[in-house]
Formats: sequence, C-alpha cells, structure tokens
Amino acid sequence: MARTLAAATRRVLGSRRRGDRSAAVPATDDTDAALVADLVEAIGADRVRADAAARYLASRDASIYKEGNAGPVCYPGSTADVVACVEVAARHGRAVSPRGAGTGLAGGAAPLGQPVVLSMTRMDRLLEIDLDNGVAWVQPGMVNLDLSRALAPHGVHYAPDPSSQAACTIGGNVANNSGGPHCLAYGVTSAHVLAVEVVMSDASVVTLGDLTAEPPGYDLRGAFVGSEGMCGIATAVAVRLTRNPPAVRTMLLSFDDVSDAAATVSAIIAAGIVPAAIEMMDQRCVTAVEDFAQAGYPRDAAAVLLVEVDGPAGGVAIAGERVADIARRNQAISARTAADDDERARLWKGRKSAFGAVANVMPDYYLHDTVVPRTRLVEVLERIYEIVDRHDLIVLNVFHAGDGNLHPILAYDSRVPGTGERVQAAGREIIEMSLDMGGALTGEHGIGVEKREYMDRMFSAVDLDQQSRLRASFDPHCRMNPGKVLPSAHSCSDIGALRASDAAGVWG
Amino acid sequence: MHLGLDDDELVACVACGLCLPHCPTFVITGRDTESPRGRIALMRAVQNEGAPVTDDLIRSMETCVQCRGCETACPSAVPFGHLMEGTRAALAGAGRITPRWQRLALRMLRHRQLLLAGSTLLALAIRLRLVPTRRLGLPARMPLRRPPLRTSGGDVWLFTGCVMDAWQRDVHLAVQRVLEAAGVGVEPTGGAAPCCGALHIHAGLEAETKAMARRVMDGLSGDDRPILVDAAGCGASLKDYGHLLGTDEARAFSARVFDVHEWLAGRLDELKSRTPVEPLDMTVAVQDPCHLRHVQRAHQAVPAVLGPFVANVVALDDDGLCCGAGGAYSVMEPELSTAIRERKTAAVARSGATVVASANPGCSLHLAAAGLDVRHPLELVDQALSASRR
Repeated sequence: MARTLAAATRRVLGSRRRGDRSAAVPATDDTDAALVADLVEAIGADRVRADAAARYLASRDASIYKEGNAGPVCYPGSTADVVACVEVAARHGRAVSPRGAGTGLAGGAAPLGQPVVLSMTRMDRLLEIDLDNGVAWVQPGMVNLDLSRALAPHGVHYAPDPSSQAACTIGGNVANNSGGPHCLAYGVTSAHVLAVEVVMSDASVVTLGDLTAEPPGYDLRGAFVGSEGMCGIATAVAVRLTRNPPAVRTMLLSFDDVSDAAATVSAIIAAGIVPAAIEMMDQRCVTAVEDFAQAGYPRDAAAVLLVEVDGPAGGVAIAGERVADIARRNQAISARTAADDDERARLWKGRKSAFGAVANVMPDYYLHDTVVPRTRLVEVLERIYEIVDRHDLIVLNVFHAGDGNLHPILAYDSRVPGTGERVQAAGREIIEMSLDMGGALTGEHGIGVEKREYMDRMFSAVDLDQQSRLRASFDPHCRMNPGKVLPSAHSCSDIGALRASDAAGVWG
Repeated sequence: MHLGLDDDELVACVACGLCLPHCPTFVITGRDTESPRGRIALMRAVQNEGAPVTDDLIRSMETCVQCRGCETACPSAVPFGHLMEGTRAALAGAGRITPRWQRLALRMLRHRQLLLAGSTLLALAIRLRLVPTRRLGLPARMPLRRPPLRTSGGDVWLFTGCVMDAWQRDVHLAVQRVLEAAGVGVEPTGGAAPCCGALHIHAGLEAETKAMARRVMDGLSGDDRPILVDAAGCGASLKDYGHLLGTDEARAFSARVFDVHEWLAGRLDELKSRTPVEPLDMTVAVQDPCHLRHVQRAHQAVPAVLGPFVANVVALDDDGLCCGAGGAYSVMEPELSTAIRERKTAAVARSGATVVASANPGCSLHLAAAGLDVRHPLELVDQALSASRR
C-alpha cells in the first residue's frame, strides 16, 4: 500500500515517464510531498496535480494579478472529496482556495500563500430540477450557460447572465454575487440562490438557507453569497428558475454623442419603463467586438445602447415603441430592432465578448467595476475620458448602463515600459472619482485582491472590523481563500495561514 | 527555451476564458493544463519567462487535438493554431516530442507506391485477423483492390492525398462522379501530389512539411486550375501553404484550393438541372470536421450541398465540438480521444439520425470505429444521383 502510494505521489508531483528528463521538473518542497501524499490517499491520484505547470496555471485568473501562488491542485468530484481535501489541508496547517473557471477579473481565485487549490470543474452536474417549486440543485462547477441550456426544454432559465456566462461557473457566480445585463430587471445572483450546501473550514457540511420563501432566523445564505470563497466552499447550489418571457424585443440604438446615450438611459428609467437590460458601448468598444461578432454594430456611432424589453407581447410592443421614441427625442441617429432570435443572439454575442475582444486593440487590459448613480452617468463618463487622456491611455467603455455599473477598460501594452504605472494611476483616479460621485467600489466582479486596498476608502475601520468578525464566525482560523477582500490590517489572522513564500512566479 | 513564436501572436490572449467550453480536452478533464488559455500561458512562461520545459508542460501540448475550436470562439482572434504548430516544431526540433517510430511512419506517407502496397498488405492482414483493428483504431475492413484513378477532363484537380487514397479511394470516385454530373471534367492528382503534410505539421515536423508543400506545388503548377479537396484536413493544410512558406507563389497556390463542398455550393443549380433528383429517404446528421468549421470556416457548404439530395439533414447540438480524431491523435492519445468521441456519439444519438455525414477521412474512421454509419457527404449525393438515373 505504502509503495503504491509513494508511486502515485511521484506521478502527481511530476511525471517521471521519460527518465532523463526528470531533471527539469522542479522539486516541490518536502512539506508538500507529505501533503500531496495525504491528498492522493484521500481522493485518488487522478484528482490531484502538484506539478509546476498545473500550479502555475491555478495561480491566475482572468485579471492582471499575477502574484498568486498555488499549492497542490485538487479536482474533487463530490462533496465528500471536498470534505476530505479541507480535512487534509487543515491537518497540514494549510489554507484552501476554491476555483471555478478562472474568469474572475479581480484576482479572487488567485491563491495566496500556497494553499490547496480546489478546482471545482469536475463537479458540473445538474442534480435535480423541481419545476413545481421553480428550483434546481446544481453543482458549483456547472457552467452558467450550460445550466440555462439544460433548463431550456422546460421553458425556464437561470436569470443572472454575466458576460462570461459561456465559461464561468455557478460556484464562481455565488462567490462574487455576479451580475449580468439582465440583472437590471431580474436582480443579481443573491436574488436567485435559495440555498447553498457548504463545506465549512472545519470540514463540516451545512446547508445555508432553505427553499421556503421566508426562512426563519438570520439570512446566512445572504451572508455567504458574495463572500468570495472566504466563508466556505459551496458544493451544491439551489437556484431559482425563471420562466422564459413570452415575448422579447431587442433594440440597438446608436448616437453621435456619448452623453445623448447616457441621457437616454436616464430618460427610459425616469419614464417608468423597466427594461430587462440596458447596455452601453462606446465607439472603440463597438469596433473591437464587431470584428469578431459581425452583428452589424455601427462602427461610426459614438455610442450604442442595447436595450431589451420582455414580458407579455402587448406590453413589449408598447414599451419598445416608447423606448424608440425616447431615444429619438435624445438625438439617436438610428434605432434598429432585432428581427429574429438569430439577430438577437448576434447582438448579445457582441456585447458579451467585449472584454475578450480587447486584444484587437491592445494586448493587455485593466478594468474597474465601479457603480455610480445613474443620474451622474454623463458627468462620470466625461471625467473618465478626461482622466484617460491625461494619462495618455486608451479606454473602451462597456457597461450596464441601466444600473450605473461601469466597466471602463484601460487597454495597454505591458511591453511598453512605464505603461503599467500609468494604468494603475488612472485606475486609482477613476475609482476615487466614482466614489466621490457617491458610487461604490464594485458592482459585480468582486474585490478579490485587486480592489482590496481600496476598501478603506469606502468603509470605516468599524465597518471593516465588523466584516472581518462576520467572516471569522464562518472561518475562525482564516483558512478559506485567505487574503482576499479585507485590507490586510483587518484580515484577522489570515497571515498565519499564508505560507511565508514569495509569489510562485515561474518555476525552475 | 525560445519557442520561436511571434511575440505579437503570443501576447494577444487576454485570458478571458471564452475558449474553455470549446476545447475538447478541457471539457473532458476540467484542468487548465488541458485548455487553450492554459497552453498559451505555458508557452509564454517558457518563451518569455524562461520556465523550463517539463514533462508535464509537454503533456499539456501533446494532449491538444489541434482542432482549433478555440480560434472561432476567441473574440481577440488569437491564432492558436500557429502558436501550437510553432511550439510543437520547437519541441520536435529539440527531440522532446514525436518519437522516431512516429517520424518513420509519417515519412512513409510521402512515398505513394510504398503506402499503397503497405495498405494492401495491411488490408490482407486485417482479413486474416492478424491485426487487432479495434485496439489500433483501424477500420474493421479495408479494400484489397483499388479501382484505378482516371482523368475525365481538365477543368479541376481533385486532390487525392495519401492515406485517404489508399484506404478510401471509393470516396474520391464518388466525388468525381458528382463533379462530372455537374458537367465538370476532373483530373485526380494521384502521384503528382502525394501528401499535403497535415499530419507532419501537427507533429512539429516543420522542415519536412515545407519540403512536402513545395513538392505538391510543383506537381500542380503550370496552370491555375482550381484544386478541389474532399478531405477537410488536407484542404486546411493546402490553404495554409501561403502562411507556411510565406511566398507569393504559395499564397497564389493556396488561393486555388477549395473544399469540394464549398466549390459545389455555388454550382448546385447546375448539378440539379442536369439530373432530376429524388432525395434519399433518410435522416443524416452533419458532423462538422474541425478543419472545415474552425479552420476553413466553410462547414455551412455541407448541409447546403446535401439539402437537395437527402430528405432530412440535421445539425448536431454540440457547437461543433471536436470528435477527437485529430489526424494521428486517436492513435497517440487513445484515452482522451475516446472520451471526446463519446460526447460526439451522444450528440448523434440526440439528433435521431441513422447516418452521419463527415467530410474528413480521419473523423469518419474514428466515428465508424465507434459503430456509427458514417459516409462522406458526396457519397450520399452520388447515391441519390445514381438512384435518380435508374
């Protein structure tokens, strides 16, 4: 037994199939060898990777944060596997960081201090659909869009639709309380998660929330959704099913001036219309996505709005006319309605590929996710363009205009010396300006590590201490995804769980 | 180790992850090491940050099917195929991938007579049950005799290639009959263009592929006739000569290459007007070969061409995810290849089709080995045409 295990561990730490090449494989240190052996024994060799390549990739997500440092990477297949991993990690005094698809934009999945990384991609099944109660239980590794596709034959869907929904997982959505274009009318993730099965830091399994409308007691489910992996690992999620609307109308409005587009947004809301979604893209963004999506976005407009109204057919027709009318009164140069599902799909494909399309302009990007009062959109946009010009940078604006959730994308080339500093400086100014306008630090991408040090700009020391205490009540030893969200002065004994080691950087 | 990759191509990935659901290996393993985004990050680590080339990194590159499904999914149009081909060329050059036996086997594809004779011997051995076909992923039955290739005119070349000509010449003949029914005179390339080099470039044998490309171009020079290809993998490879060799001559050559469906789709009226057609009464699922859909981006021509000839043509609901054949991939990575294929066979089952139409010999062999009834799309058209003539 021991020998088999040793052999399995060797395999996991780095394959030695081709004898003479083994010299190139970096040795993981001895402590890790014991940890890895225990993980292998607990969940099997095919579910653990500890080689340099696997750890390097598990150290990063879609953000520009590259200082993560993963320990062994586990691919649990069940709640029992997760429990086993948490137990083994605790026994070795190591933290645990969960990971979905790694599409996060704030470094929330970037592991700090060489924790055991739990990649949830293999827990990707739809467990149960209860149409009578409008609930489905899903595993956290299930891809957001796969869930809605699986539900389609039943005439229902899962409403929150982040732009990355084709790749991102439900577990990651829960961790970040993710939004998406259609959250304007339907609400963000927390409004669609009824209950969560969680493996706690002491390896116990609890269910937070329940399927009734008004569960008694404190809303622990509410505290968990959006906690960025710091309160435990979700292993099953009960999501609310939303009926597909009987009619949908998607309109593309284009403008010669960004402020006319922003004024249109305010006017639509002020008129009492609640569209399913109002998205805005400026000219640079439209150009970048149109190359890929071929959706017929006008490249010559200064800004476009993508507005969708849904509901009963009669109401949709009326709302659609009113939106078009408001747009015209605000100097829209064109208003086009998607003729069929195919055209609608292409328009949305364009919008949802915006971040990924940035490399058509520049190879790197850094973005913020601040929320500002909708009434100040015009002013805020003007300030953003001014800040970016002053730092000699390029910005692509794409955002959830309906709820004032900005995503100014600073596109740059990190190979040009000094650019990174200018990007950071401009980013900081954009955040400060947004907060001064009465805004919030993040709408939907989470704080992660990227926005951690801005937290005290938004919350008082008392607020932050309370947040830290709430977190400690879930995870007293700070073993779950440590080092995230709370600025270092307030992150309890996080540092104790972090191994004193530099960022992984490159191996060798 | 410098992988010789173009820096602008290498930095073009912003790691958004939209490629993940379109990668057949990531979908199976759920591991970043088996994803396009992960593979690019590892290439960068090696080329830009000096990371050593470990066995696990090599596995990450070797497990890629090179289907290029990630390319059509990428909003930033990262040329993943070039990056992977470049990486493999560097690894093969350093002797880290593509073992000697594989190089020898690939070399044989250039020698047409040897390949034809060897295939006949193999067919005989299979008949005598001397070869475990299933384990090796070989067809359960191969032709002992091949009807000769014949020239019927000089309007177009029909590229016949290597393994396909040796193992599936019936398909070439059916394709030729369909073209002739449209009034087109066909000259099969035969010995004039022995092998396109697709499998060689996949294995990282860049210099060899370039030599083979020059040989093919020489064999088909002298006029500017269209070169029609009925194997999606070969078509993609021939269309890439312009990039591979980087010369005006090669670019001009590549511009002459068409997938046969792509070419026929514009001439359907011609075909239909000559022969009144009774569509075949069957349900056919169209399997999009990756090198037709993601590389040539001409897959929509297949249902367009099949439409008038088959009563019920259905699409699969898997977003064109790879079937796992990948040229020699099914032989080199049998475990992953089989797992990937299971998703495809499930999609076929969901479609309700009894027959699968595949425009690539590799996919066709791979899917047939799973027990599916697979035909080349133009074999079906040929069948419909000959039934109508009767």
